[in-house]
Amino acid sequence: MEVARKFFRFMAVALFMVCGFMKVMATTHLAGEKRTVKDTLGRIIQIPDRVERILSLQPEITRILVALEAGDKLVGLDYFVRRDDHLFKIIFPAQERLPVVSKPDDSVNKEVVVALRPDIIFASPSELLVPDSIQQALGIPVVALSSLGSFRNLLDEIELVGRVTGREARASELISFFNENMNAIRQTVGSLSPERRPRVYLAFWSSLLRTPVDYGPVTAAGGVNVAAGLLPTHPGSPGAVVTLEQIIAWDPDVILVHGNYPPSERRVTVEQVVSDKRLRSLKAVRNGHVFYTFGYWYWWDPAQVLVETLYLVKLFYPEKLRDFELEAAGNTIFEKFYGQAGLFSKLGEALAFHDWIKEK
Amino acid sequence: MTGSKKNKKKRSLQVFLLVLPLLLFVISLGIGSYAISPRDLVGTLISTISPSSYPDIPPVYRDVLFRIRLPRLLLAMAIGASLSVAGASLQAIFRNPLVNEYILGISSGAAFGAALSLVFLGRAFPPHVSAFLFGILAVLAVIGIAGRGETASLISLLLTGVIVSAFFSALLSVVEFFASPYVLQALFFWLMGSLALAGWRDLAISLPLIIAGLLFLILFRWRLNVLSTGTDEARALGVHVQREKILVIFLATLITASATAVVGIIGWVGLIVPHLVRLMVGTDNRLVIPLSAATGASFLLLADDIIRGISPLEIPIGIFTSILGIPLFLFLLKKAKRVWL
Amino acid sequence: MSVRVKGLRFAYRNFILRVDELSFATGQTTSIVGPNGAGKTTLLKCVGAVLPVSKGTLFVDGEDFALLKSRERARLVSYVPQEHGAAFNYLVFDFVLMGRAPYVPIFSTPSAEDVRIAEEALDFVGLGSYAERTYAELSSGERRLVLIARALAQQSDILLLDEPTTFLDPKHEREVLELVRKLAAEKEKTILLTLHNLEMAVQYSDNMVFLKGGEVVAWGRAEEVFKEPLLRAVYDMEMKVIDWNGRKIVLR
Repeated sequence: MEVARKFFRFMAVALFMVCGFMKVMATTHLAGEKRTVKDTLGRIIQIPDRVERILSLQPEITRILVALEAGDKLVGLDYFVRRDDHLFKIIFPAQERLPVVSKPDDSVNKEVVVALRPDIIFASPSELLVPDSIQQALGIPVVALSSLGSFRNLLDEIELVGRVTGREARASELISFFNENMNAIRQTVGSLSPERRPRVYLAFWSSLLRTPVDYGPVTAAGGVNVAAGLLPTHPGSPGAVVTLEQIIAWDPDVILVHGNYPPSERRVTVEQVVSDKRLRSLKAVRNGHVFYTFGYWYWWDPAQVLVETLYLVKLFYPEKLRDFELEAAGNTIFEKFYGQAGLFSKLGEALAFHDWIKEK
Repeated sequence: MTGSKKNKKKRSLQVFLLVLPLLLFVISLGIGSYAISPRDLVGTLISTISPSSYPDIPPVYRDVLFRIRLPRLLLAMAIGASLSVAGASLQAIFRNPLVNEYILGISSGAAFGAALSLVFLGRAFPPHVSAFLFGILAVLAVIGIAGRGETASLISLLLTGVIVSAFFSALLSVVEFFASPYVLQALFFWLMGSLALAGWRDLAISLPLIIAGLLFLILFRWRLNVLSTGTDEARALGVHVQREKILVIFLATLITASATAVVGIIGWVGLIVPHLVRLMVGTDNRLVIPLSAATGASFLLLADDIIRGISPLEIPIGIFTSILGIPLFLFLLKKAKRVWL
Repeated sequence: MSVRVKGLRFAYRNFILRVDELSFATGQTTSIVGPNGAGKTTLLKCVGAVLPVSKGTLFVDGEDFALLKSRERARLVSYVPQEHGAAFNYLVFDFVLMGRAPYVPIFSTPSAEDVRIAEEALDFVGLGSYAERTYAELSSGERRLVLIARALAQQSDILLLDEPTTFLDPKHEREVLELVRKLAAEKEKTILLTLHNLEMAVQYSDNMVFLKGGEVVAWGRAEEVFKEPLLRAVYDMEMKVIDWNGRKIVLR
């Protein structure tokens, strides 16, 4: 009995050492092929230098992948781009062959994920625990990325995705295009003094009280987001919930309502805001300065957010872009990103935005 | 302490508890993100009756006070009173201090009803009606399944409540599947319990039923003592136990469903407040029921004041009552021996 | 107030109580005795309106019990359980006050008169000074007395007590039974009680009913019925009855 026990102990130690040695070797072997990134939730992850099989659960990243012409690397999609995105089916027809891996409650079918063998998974940071749980369960690097309303972050994402998919050139091209447009906008509104900049309240998502604490298009278009600096409801979330009295205390010059919904699905409408007796003292309501804007649609579409900035410049400073045709410009921008004509107009049909985009 | 001094102390405590919500109400009128000085507050109040005495009160003050704060405070008091009295009454007839106003499935039913309305009926319909109907339906299901006859023991009612709750939660998941993420957000906001957009319309919808239910339960308060002694004993005392038990459940359900339909699920109130009251005034329901109404109103007013006062951010009151409620409950458990057997 | 049982049947899953003919005269004390599971508590609960009875099986003062409203029944008969099983720690006085339930309208609270009657009941059992104490503070014996006080507050002429002496030490046992005697003597109540203690039963009752297996084996005046052959038949064991100074002592 003693001998047997000693033997087993020896074997256990030996096995342990062999495994340890192998693990060290494995790490050393892969070390040269990995890069370290820090995602939006502050997680530090090792991701491969190049990926061939991508699972994107984050529509913003999915859209970027397609814009970078790296859509062929997608092995799976989230439910949103398949079911709720206005343009994705048109932009990327190949999507119908891809399996949907997540559900509206943001749960992920781990078995399907394993079967797809992705090298990397992109997730949304608004689902705090999901990235870690998937990474721990499946051992695949999960990166939680989102622009969170900042253009800087958006461009960084385009650059990162471009790098890992080998589409650096295309990424550069899009980033330059983006920056050129931004510079033009900056020149148009840059000279304005702070007092002339309109103070804007954004009523996003399904409630008058939910507002994004940082929204790039508004700031770039020369507006001031009254909710800037507030704490979002949780890390990784873009928005905060404010009290009704706070909105009245701010008394913004302009109220922008989330317009990325088809009319029948809008939960907050301009008519509602304008007819709400509690808001009747607001100058935005009295002056009729309550409008729709596009807003998020499960994070951003890089083309749409550029068009939105132009739309807002036109809205805030109508005299500046008097002869500017938004729809034509929108179609050009979308074509630059996705290679098809008339996409912005198609979006217009889905959102019925011809009611609210006032083309002069 | 002599008998009469002790009695006087008891009386003062009871009067204090009754008056507290009124005091808090007045103070609460001055709390909110939109700053109005006390002087202007008084001016605004008076200017409604005689506009000439305070001519330069800006109309926005009136809007804030009468369209936002006033309905919200009244609703907070009504909800606080309802949930507390419902909890206290159900604790009496179930003879179990751990019972809360949601055990018969109202919260799951109402959540499902709200989800159904938000997803399929859209913006045109506020989720109130559907939430109310399904809240009631859940309780009817529990009573129907557990049996109306003499065999409907309290344990079977409680267990059926658990099962019906689970059933509606499952249905809720199904509805969530069909929801777009933004409708889901609206639903989660509602589920967490919030007075954020409370207006006169919400009061108009819920107040009549709440007042009627509260009134009857308060009138019934002594009878709850008798019912709480046990089925056999109550029967021997000439009480028609089955009928009266159903009556109490019906009234408690009415006020809880009305409250929940309008503001969502606000937990812990019906569990904590009655116990707090019992610790202060004893277990006699002649005192516990009306004082639970008053203390519940104070509790929610206080919670809402803290939320409205500390930040421009709207923290759902349901989260707050949980944060307050859990340590309070642990504290109460330690003192439990005094009021529970 | 007399009680008459005629053809009473009550069935549980595995047990049937069958009482064909039984009566309890006004102002008399009757003990119901028998082995465990004989149906003593069941019989008491039937008479006490705790368990439902069919029409024509129970008559109180000539009235068919099953046809009366629950409130009326409670004014005629009060029932003292063995133990009280509530979850809330009431004040002794509030507890006794509950006995007024048959007289207080459903959406009202007790009147000053109700309070006076409850006070009297508490005084009668000797616990008048205990009014402000809570139920949990009391000893078993005191709790038993409070339960009796509550039954007294019902002002019914018929009083039923289920095992009023269990778990009590000999002193309190005697106290309770003396109280029962006092009730019979001063208030002329018709009293039924179930007892395990045969000696006490025969000492404190006018009549006795022997139950076994759900049936009445014998009943009648205590002196006459309490005989060794009967005891042997009912309890399935040898017992000896000794007369000592007018008191009956049972040796097992």
